Amino acid sequence: MSQHPDYTKWQALAEKQMKGKSIDTLNWNTPEGITVKPLYTAEDVAGLDSVNTLPGMAPYVRGPMATMYAGRPWTIRQYAGFSTAKESNAFYHKALAAGQKGLSVAFDLATHRGYDSDHPRVAGDIGKAGVAIDSVEDMKILFDGIPLDKMSVSMTMNGAVIPILAGYIVAAEEQGVSHDQLSGTIQNDILKEYLTRNTYIYPPTPSMRIISDIMSFCSKNMPKYNTISISGYHMMEAGANSVLQTAFTLADGVEYVKAAIKSGMDVDEFAPRLSFFFGIGMNFFMDIAMLRAARFLWHRLMSQFNPKNVKSSMLRTHCQTSGWSLTEQDPYNNVIRTTLEAMSAVLGGTQSLHTNSFDEAIGLPTDFSARIARNTQIIIQEESQVCNVIDPLGGSYYIEALTKEIIDEAQKIIDEIESLGGMAKAIESGMPKMRIEESAARKQARIDQGSDVIVGVNKYKLADETIDFEVREVPATVRDEQIARIEQIKASRDKDLVAKALADLTEAAKNGGNLLEAALPAVRARATVGEISDAMESVFGRFVATTRCISGAYSSECEAKPDVINAIKQRTTKFLESQGRRPRLLVTKMGQDGHDRGFKVVASAYADLGFDVDISPMFQTPAEAAKMAIENDVHVVGASSLAAGHKSLIPALIEELKKLGGQEIIVVAGGVIPPVDYDFLFEAGVAAVFGPGTPIPDSADRTLSLLEKKYLS
Amino acid sequence: MFTSATDYVSGILAGDRRTLARTITLIESVLPAHQELARKIVDQLLPHTGKSVRIGITGVPGAGKSTYIESFGTMLTEKGHRVAVLAIDPSSTRSGGSILGDKTRMEKLAVNDRAFIRPSPSSGTLGGVGRKTRETMLACEAAGYDVVIIETVGVGQSETTVASMVDFFLVLMIAGAGDELQGIKKGVLEVADAIVINKADGDNINRAKMARREYEAALHMLMPASANWSPPVLTCSSLFSEGIETIWETILDHKQRFIKSGEFDVKRREQALEWMHFLLEDGLRTWFYTNPEVAQLLPGLKKDIAQLKISPTAAADRLLALLKR
Ligand SMILES: Nc1nc2c(ncn2[C@@H]2O[C@H](COP(=O)(O)OP(=O)(O)OP(=O)(O)O)[C@@H](O)[C@H]2O)c(=O)[nH]1
Ligand SMILES: [Mg+2]
Repeated sequence: MSQHPDYTKWQALAEKQMKGKSIDTLNWNTPEGITVKPLYTAEDVAGLDSVNTLPGMAPYVRGPMATMYAGRPWTIRQYAGFSTAKESNAFYHKALAAGQKGLSVAFDLATHRGYDSDHPRVAGDIGKAGVAIDSVEDMKILFDGIPLDKMSVSMTMNGAVIPILAGYIVAAEEQGVSHDQLSGTIQNDILKEYLTRNTYIYPPTPSMRIISDIMSFCSKNMPKYNTISISGYHMMEAGANSVLQTAFTLADGVEYVKAAIKSGMDVDEFAPRLSFFFGIGMNFFMDIAMLRAARFLWHRLMSQFNPKNVKSSMLRTHCQTSGWSLTEQDPYNNVIRTTLEAMSAVLGGTQSLHTNSFDEAIGLPTDFSARIARNTQIIIQEESQVCNVIDPLGGSYYIEALTKEIIDEAQKIIDEIESLGGMAKAIESGMPKMRIEESAARKQARIDQGSDVIVGVNKYKLADETIDFEVREVPATVRDEQIARIEQIKASRDKDLVAKALADLTEAAKNGGNLLEAALPAVRARATVGEISDAMESVFGRFVATTRCISGAYSSECEAKPDVINAIKQRTTKFLESQGRRPRLLVTKMGQDGHDRGFKVVASAYADLGFDVDISPMFQTPAEAAKMAIENDVHVVGASSLAAGHKSLIPALIEELKKLGGQEIIVVAGGVIPPVDYDFLFEAGVAAVFGPGTPIPDSADRTLSLLEKKYLS
Repeated sequence: MFTSATDYVSGILAGDRRTLARTITLIESVLPAHQELARKIVDQLLPHTGKSVRIGITGVPGAGKSTYIESFGTMLTEKGHRVAVLAIDPSSTRSGGSILGDKTRMEKLAVNDRAFIRPSPSSGTLGGVGRKTRETMLACEAAGYDVVIIETVGVGQSETTVASMVDFFLVLMIAGAGDELQGIKKGVLEVADAIVINKADGDNINRAKMARREYEAALHMLMPASANWSPPVLTCSSLFSEGIETIWETILDHKQRFIKSGEFDVKRREQALEWMHFLLEDGLRTWFYTNPEVAQLLPGLKKDIAQLKISPTAAADRLLALLKR
């Protein structure tokens, strides 16, 4: 189609209103590298193969189902992060009564990484960010009174997938539910763990085998069960823009398909049960277009495997609103953010949705905040009348053009990954991780200088923040309770039976055999999650990540506001001149929380600001972090905490530093730390706490002031 | 912390990690007062030094040096050794700050009680690397570390500086496509006591073997520095800890032979002499440039040379004449 006949007239009119400036000055360059124009017309969508298609039919741009929400709305699926099986169970019963349809289980970090609650390495992680599961007994408490033959259960588990999935299966067996009746999803997406969240146990090769084993077991025995949920969410949370999220997620998907085919399965045996999980951020139209583009691309990518079943190339997805977009400052604003993001997911055509609670930047969700979060979806579904029309934005010039842009940009990256030999190889090369980190550093810089507005954080700040709602904490007794139950189980089970079952599992790991199948007898015999993981680790080894850090991205995005940056650089140089070396900072992440975006962005930005920055390995204990601080003789340790471990881990670090004679080393803390805990931390000896959303120049300024006070005055 | 050298010395001799770390900070400091104190400390430590196996490791970025040290160092601690690792990190950004990430690739060794790892930003001059690393090595020896490993990236000149302070210099290589010798300087091969082809695992084994033959051929063309040692070419996988043991045996064998032939002491004495000369030159240079008259005259002379008002020779003569007085 050619230009609209009156386009030039409109252009003249517009430029007149802009006092002669070209309308091109209204273009917006998105973080994805897309140039968005102020106006789209029919010309922009003419001839596109992604436009004017039908829902439920290839290429599925308008939705995987023919009737979409007009037939049945998306599933409201709220993920619960309670610490014990008992609490979670009580929450499930309440949520089901309040209109929730499926269950979603989040596990604590120790469980993710295959450690039992009594393992010394995870003392600070038990019950944080999810439920602690040590054996099938905990699973039975978790699902007590919940009919597993009727309820679809989704489990966010990637590392310890074998013991957890086996535990779920055995808990169902003991309820009298057979394997084929089970429905739900296990995340089981290990590739993205190497990219962002680091909750893996084994190296990539054995991990891919575990996935194939699970797919193969389930396709035979659990036909209603989704064996993998290919997740972009964590990439977005790690700072990936929407094009990166799309490209890397779909490339992960292709890699799993190839692995399953390689292990002898037919594509139609498992592909219909693949599901996806996307993160939805504040870029409203972008993420609507992202979901549409992802469906188009998946259909295109799957065609290389020649599936016969149409469902094999149909992308179905769960979505979650962004955690990164939530602010600690003026937190009720988060309700509005979450609502917008939820709308974006809905208009993009998601199959199920989790909406975050507004207090998640502050603490664990409470009954109150969880209710608001759930009602956000219910109100959209039942009050707003948006469900009546399928893909209501289909045909919008802008949405269709943006969909096409994302398709093209993501395809380029997917091609690049293909040329590296697929996603597993690309991950080895470090390419995807670097791209995400670069995107994250740029985003942080845009926020720090206010070009990305966040209300309450870098604009319209409140002079006085008070918290007038309850903040929930993990009870300190969780670990003791779990340990007591482990001891009880170990005392009452048949030791020889356990030993034999574990030996058989190790044997299967070594010489082949389906690992999920081999784990079932061990679970029935009451082997613990840790024991089952160890039985495989003895063959596979535990994976150790290489941490690489980019430098320069932060300061290059900061060129617009050089004053603040230069002022800090001058101060670090002054420090060097007076102290004989630059201020030296160790950034560390203790505990099993593997989100390393924050700490890497900090590391690279601080180096750009003239600090010498030591990075600690992931998953450190306080004693290990202290040893490193002492040996490297740093001035400051910055402890990053995102998973509620700060109240035990950070004071422990300070104690360990003292033990080694490092009492003068300043300790600062950053991350998701509820303001009610600040005083506790200050009393424990923490010099400063930087909550979520603290601009890096601010935290650097405050850290430097602490140093200057100590050393330069 | 402390003010007197004796306090530092007794802390180090008692094996206190914190004191050793603080001493290294003094050694690395750019402040003359710190350097002077450091020199005093090192002087007093000297009788307690010299008893370690000193190993230098170089290789191109990504060759796997840190991973190698992780697995090599862990093996040594299992044998009962105490291992100090000095990692010189050249990655300084424009603003001068560095990201020091070595320990993330030495995760096990970093938390090992029998190991001490110190990554250093190499901001500053190359001469600085030489002086600082040597003194740090001595301090580690005095603290009871009986193997000292120095990691340096094989770009620039730091590797020859490191080679001149260790007993055994190991060059880590990876088999790549095309010309194996590309990118590595002949000078490095000349000072190597062994070449190790790393990452000999998975589908890389054959390529590693091929590279090994090529390096063997290349080394044949070089005259060995000692009649008692022709540098071997070995393969290993740092990631899977294969071939690491053999390398340690090679290092011990080298040491035995050198002790037997008397070259061990000769080499260390020569290194000490070399160091003195180095310090002398370094000191002279500093002394010269910090001379107030020089500082006053120099800027003007520089300008004059640029404007062709004076010849470089004449300018240098005038400056040097100041020192004769
Ligand atoms: N397959 C394989 N990979 C290895 C081996 N050794 C190291 N690597 C990998 O090579 C990459 C670089 O290893 P490093 O140990 O960081 O290399 P380096 O020489 O210290 O690098 P710089 O400090 O950056 O100069 C990492 O991804 C390692 O996991 C090995 O023996 N086999
Ligand atoms: Mg290294």
